[in-house]
Amino acid sequence: MLKSKTFLKKTRAGGVMKIVREHYLRDDIGCGAPGCATCGGAHEGPALEPQPQDPASSLCPQPHYLLPDTNVLLHQIDVLEDPAIRNVIVLQTVLQEVRNRSAPVYKRIRDVTNNQEKHFYTFTNEHHRETYVEQEQGENANDRNDRAIRVAAKWYNEHLKKMSADNQLQVIFITNDRKNKEKAIEEGIPAFTCEEYVKSLTANPELIDRLACLSEEENEIESGKIIFSEHLPLSKLQQGIKSGTYLQGTFRASRENYLEATVWIHGDNEENKEVILQGLKHLNRAIHEDIVAVELLAKSQWVAPSSVVLHDEGQNEEDVEKEEERERMLKTAVSEKMLKPTGRVVGIIKRNWRPYCGMLSKSDIKESRRHLFTPADKRIPRIRIETRQASTLEGRRIIVAIDGWPRNSRYPNGHFVRNLGDVGEKETETEVLLLEHDVPHQPFSQAVLSFLPKMPWSITEKDMKNREDLRHLCICSVDPPGCTDIDDALHCRELENGNLEVGVHIADVSHFIRPGNALDQESARRGTTVYLCEKRIDMVPELLSSNLCSLKCDVDRLAFSCIWEMNHNAEILKTKFTKSVINSKASLTYAEAQLRIDSANMNDDITTSLRGLNKLAKILKKGRIEKGALTLSSPEVRFHMDSETHDPIDLQTKELRETNSMVEEFMLLANISVAKKIHEEFSEHALLRKHPAPPPSNYEILVKAARSRNLEIKTDTAKSLAESLDRAESPTFPYLNTLLRILATRCMMQAVYFCSGMDNDFYHYGLASPIYTHFTSPIRRYADVIVHRLLAVAVGADCTYPELTDKHKLADICKNLNFRHKMAQYAQRASVAFHTQIPSLKIEDTVFHVFDKVKVKIMLDSSNLQHQKIRMSLVEPQIPGISIPTDTSNMDLNGPKKKKMKLGK
Amino acid sequence: MASVALSEAEKVYIVHGVQEDLRVDGRGCEDYRCVEVETDVVSNTSGSARVKLGHTDILVGVKAEMGTPKLEKPNEGYLEFFVDCSASATPEFEGRGGDDLGTEIANTLYRIFNNKSSVDLKTLCISPREHCWILYVDVLLLECGGNLFDAISIAVKAALFNTRIPRVRVLEDEEGSKDIELSDDPYDCIRLSVENIPCIVTLCKIGYRHVVDATLQEEACSLASLLVSVTSKGVVTCMRKVGKGSLDPESIFEMMETGKRVGKVLHASLQSVLHKEESLGPKRQKVGFLG
Repeated sequence: MLKSKTFLKKTRAGGVMKIVREHYLRDDIGCGAPGCATCGGAHEGPALEPQPQDPASSLCPQPHYLLPDTNVLLHQIDVLEDPAIRNVIVLQTVLQEVRNRSAPVYKRIRDVTNNQEKHFYTFTNEHHRETYVEQEQGENANDRNDRAIRVAAKWYNEHLKKMSADNQLQVIFITNDRKNKEKAIEEGIPAFTCEEYVKSLTANPELIDRLACLSEEENEIESGKIIFSEHLPLSKLQQGIKSGTYLQGTFRASRENYLEATVWIHGDNEENKEVILQGLKHLNRAIHEDIVAVELLAKSQWVAPSSVVLHDEGQNEEDVEKEEERERMLKTAVSEKMLKPTGRVVGIIKRNWRPYCGMLSKSDIKESRRHLFTPADKRIPRIRIETRQASTLEGRRIIVAIDGWPRNSRYPNGHFVRNLGDVGEKETETEVLLLEHDVPHQPFSQAVLSFLPKMPWSITEKDMKNREDLRHLCICSVDPPGCTDIDDALHCRELENGNLEVGVHIADVSHFIRPGNALDQESARRGTTVYLCEKRIDMVPELLSSNLCSLKCDVDRLAFSCIWEMNHNAEILKTKFTKSVINSKASLTYAEAQLRIDSANMNDDITTSLRGLNKLAKILKKGRIEKGALTLSSPEVRFHMDSETHDPIDLQTKELRETNSMVEEFMLLANISVAKKIHEEFSEHALLRKHPAPPPSNYEILVKAARSRNLEIKTDTAKSLAESLDRAESPTFPYLNTLLRILATRCMMQAVYFCSGMDNDFYHYGLASPIYTHFTSPIRRYADVIVHRLLAVAVGADCTYPELTDKHKLADICKNLNFRHKMAQYAQRASVAFHTQIPSLKIEDTVFHVFDKVKVKIMLDSSNLQHQKIRMSLVEPQIPGISIPTDTSNMDLNGPKKKKMKLGK
Repeated sequence: MASVALSEAEKVYIVHGVQEDLRVDGRGCEDYRCVEVETDVVSNTSGSARVKLGHTDILVGVKAEMGTPKLEKPNEGYLEFFVDCSASATPEFEGRGGDDLGTEIANTLYRIFNNKSSVDLKTLCISPREHCWILYVDVLLLECGGNLFDAISIAVKAALFNTRIPRVRVLEDEEGSKDIELSDDPYDCIRLSVENIPCIVTLCKIGYRHVVDATLQEEACSLASLLVSVTSKGVVTCMRKVGKGSLDPESIFEMMETGKRVGKVLHASLQSVLHKEESLGPKRQKVGFLG
């Protein structure tokens, strides 16, 4: 039966459009209950249980199915995810509403419905002839959906009765909307609120903890005092933003000070502006990453960013007055120049809440069920949760979700979601780290794994099509020790005409990951392999990353080769790209390779090949630096792990050998060559990588720091920066140059992937290359896989597919990759921080210039288990009141202070 | 315009018949053929109607879009007409063949709607000088079987009767910036009053007499005809002569009188049909293009 759905929509230009969609109703949609004769077998996949036994509810002892409404699904997803809750009917109406309102919840509910054991059934009531309802006159969309849900619930109850006369099966409608519940009961549908139902599950008392507390009456008891001003409704905010009274931006809480935050104003006309917010009332319940509307305060009320570190430690709810005192403390007199635009939050445009990891701070009052939860991320405020298992949760890492933040509450309300494990356990901490950085780390699903090649795998005739056989070449790979995902190998040989042939061979991952399948989608989502101290979160399943794609020695492997003919001055005469089969003759570590190059009595093929490469690499590097490429230092720290306990026993900064830079040089060259080729072929949709030149203001700290040592840093071009950095040496302080380079790294912009059709600035500032891309690590970066596909099409070795030449799709991929790379970087750093306990420095002091030598006393402060820190007390120079007297047990830290100190007013 | 080739004998037969008040299909001189009207036939328009008059088949769609009022009439909306002569009506319309006729009909429609009394354009105004509704009236000729103008005017009137314009509110904040808010309820809409919308009655001069609602064959026998637009009260709002022949003042006067008389009856029966159709409600079984 055909119906048409009509609705009106406001267009962006302000017009009104009438949209008509065809809508088909059918009568072959199954109810999901097995053994139902009327619609027997009309459905497939996970269905309800015939006789749901558990959970035993005191409210409805007979077997029953649950049918939640949209708000229950949205807010109580944590309860629904609990294994105790089974046999739930999810209506299409509900699912669609959830999808429109919250993508993360939608994804979670999809996962639950796909889980066979949960017995969730999605009923497409909107297309069922008997449960479809049309919007009636005087009814808004919400009322209509509520009615559709009730009609479906009623239909279910009647339908199940028809199944057999003695059938006791019931469908229970769960809603938190009082009016809706009343109407349902009027219509003869058994209905309960979520709370009523969960509380009636006597066998599972722990479920109550997971219940989101939303009922308004409860919050009102807390304290009658209203702390925050009201949030304005969205329509008013949008008007205000349009007229310019309010500014829209992303709320970023400060890590150091819980009373301060900045808002990045979204605006296309000028570059991002920042607005400072100070004080609880002005922050007005906004939480990190929310999209908010702010109102600028009058200039007389502007403040400067404070330099005080403040952590919210208060346990008591009523100390709002004290809070105000603290706020006043922030507003110390500062010079006019330091004042920044200041504002206050007037409303929230979009919440960006996610479940937060952290720990429970148990309430002082015994028997109290309300406790505060302290998130690991310091930018998130503490959350009040209700739980009866406080004593078991103490000292554990837990996950908590925020439910809401009423106006009269100092803290947001939330509920307990999951227990991760003991604090300090390496697994727990790694889990926390991955969750906090949004790194997808679940094992690969069956669907993904099904696209892997069958083992034992060998190269077939078909694979050899469009491929060159390079197995005879003397190819070897050079990597850090312990590397199992080898994605590059090299060779160099002399040609008959006296020129050199240099080849870079990259694992042919795109041969195994075919576009569009589940494996491809999953790798695209992960974007990058994340390396943590003792764990690697692979982008592609291990079979590929460590075996089939890894260019191990003495086995035949598929590769994508980039082969140049060069003369002895490293000038490229000819470039060739081809898919190939190689057989690596040796997998060397950097040290082994270096040893071969250095030892005079080794003259085998591999060694001569390496020497040739090394010679060319030196010329290439020289040329690159002359062009103005930067060599910035960020000392990488390496760990020596205890093989048994996996505890780090020693750490050292990475030693840089010639061979490191040799491999790097050729990878750069390959990337640049490939970038040129794909851009030539696909000028509109090549995936490239750029590194924008930083604005001059970014260099201020560097120039200032150098000036304090009477050195001059020129920043007008990359080349002059590189040269002036080379000259910046201090005879008395040899480490200074490295420090300046570290500082320069901080001035840089983030390098990003982009689609060539969407941008016109391709320059890579750091490498001083007009064009650049990533080609050489397809095992661990998804960008490279795309580049491989583009190049394969360009050289005619593979066929194209529609998404590859869609620049908007490509731009979306770039956006995801950039995000994943950033998060992976943060996760890596956090992992290093966890394993080394790099302290956060906290010094309130006066006249310290950057790079001054100090002597400090270091001790471990584990009073706060989530953020163990190393306390440093100043010993030298002596400042009364702050430094502590020198004593013999002091340790010397002659090394430089790594962090720029906070300069007190 | 679509035409048929008639032999001299056929023409004489028709002319003589008319003389006797007996037309080829048995009608009298002031009789219309059977008119079929159905509204709301195209769901993605704001209002639509299909009119069949003998072999003449017309589809009209009205689309309401927001726009800015014309400078000289800051507190009124306006109507735009477009007539598409589809090649399926007659092969002559193929390519740009139907453009001239289309423009001619559209211009006629502009003329008969170009007065204050026909439609209350003020109801189409949302906020003076800034927003108003523009009604795009699109006429599609599906088949030509004579008397196009009358059929089109009936269809336009029926489509405007069927038109539902979403109700919008203009929100104004303190600074005077305006925002348009759309009602959540699709049934919340405004309707036009079609009370005073005129219909065209075409009077074809055949021999010494004139007929209404001429068929293609009769049109071929006529040298001149008079378009009279008449309101339901019998007021003539506009008049136009078409065809290459001439009309003497006396017969013009006569034709106007006939026009008024026939027009009043036509309006009355159209109005009653439209109301009857609407009273059936949204559950009415639609005939659409299958009938």
